Amino acid sequence: MDQLAHTVRGVDHIAYPTFDPAATVTFYRDVLGFPVVHSICAAGWGPEKHPDFIHFFFDIGNDDRLAFFYYFGLQPFEGGPQGDSYSRFTEDVPVFFIRSRHLAIHVDSEEDLLEYRRRLDGSQWPVEMQIQHETIESIYTHDPNGYMIEITRALRPVTPQEDLDANLTIDALVDVVSGPDPSMAALLARKAELIVERAAAWQQEQEQDVTEVAAR
Amino acid sequence: MTTLFVLDVPENRPIAAVAAQDPAVTVGRVGPYYRIDSDAPIVIDRRATGCRHAVWYSSVAGLVGSRITQWDKDAMRVESR
Repeated sequence: MDQLAHTVRGVDHIAYPTFDPAATVTFYRDVLGFPVVHSICAAGWGPEKHPDFIHFFFDIGNDDRLAFFYYFGLQPFEGGPQGDSYSRFTEDVPVFFIRSRHLAIHVDSEEDLLEYRRRLDGSQWPVEMQIQHETIESIYTHDPNGYMIEITRALRPVTPQEDLDANLTIDALVDVVSGPDPSMAALLARKAELIVERAAAWQQEQEQDVTEVAAR
Repeated sequence: MTTLFVLDVPENRPIAAVAAQDPAVTVGRVGPYYRIDSDAPIVIDRRATGCRHAVWYSSVAGLVGSRITQWDKDAMRVESR
């Protein structure tokens, strides 16, 4: 397969609705210290009935932005006791599923992570969890709109073999979900076949690259 | 034969090392993966590895003709199918 040119440059913005812009500004600007960098005051327009709205943006670092829409006069929609301002869920929906969609913002160091923890813990939205995952450490809270926000740091740099492993996992996953009975057992069996097919050759390529660089 | 693959990254190295303490187990390499083989079931004690849970529950990369019959906070047991 030819490699497609990869020219995108990260997140321009992600946008969420809010019914509480005052608390949203308090949380992101005044507690976390994310500057307001852009906003649009727009009159309702177009063929459908559209409320007047404010679209406002916070700088989340790296020139990436988190944006909100506030619609004048709009009331929250029904849907159940769980969830956030965008999605409401009935009681039977498990929390792991609801939490699966979240925004994770990167910091470079433990010191920075703990500084954001300090800011949140001094606010109405204290850190709910601090977790060391496989290779990252994260803090979590929910913003005033119920959106789960993660702030995370790398515990170490990602190694080249983890990129190989990720690609073997995904190729195995695509194969397994095309089959009759997707499961972790089926995935690990298929992935073992891919490891046998490709991992030794990958290692040789890596060593060749190192030798070529050293010879320059 | 019982065979599992574990990716060689710093967090996983104790898993291969603890597995290798069993005289029935051989630990080889396939590229950047440890290949852990035994004619008997392979049992790895989590506390002996010092792995925290997130590492422990994501440490298996592949299984050849084998199945996991225990994978909890105490141990992992892998047996031939």
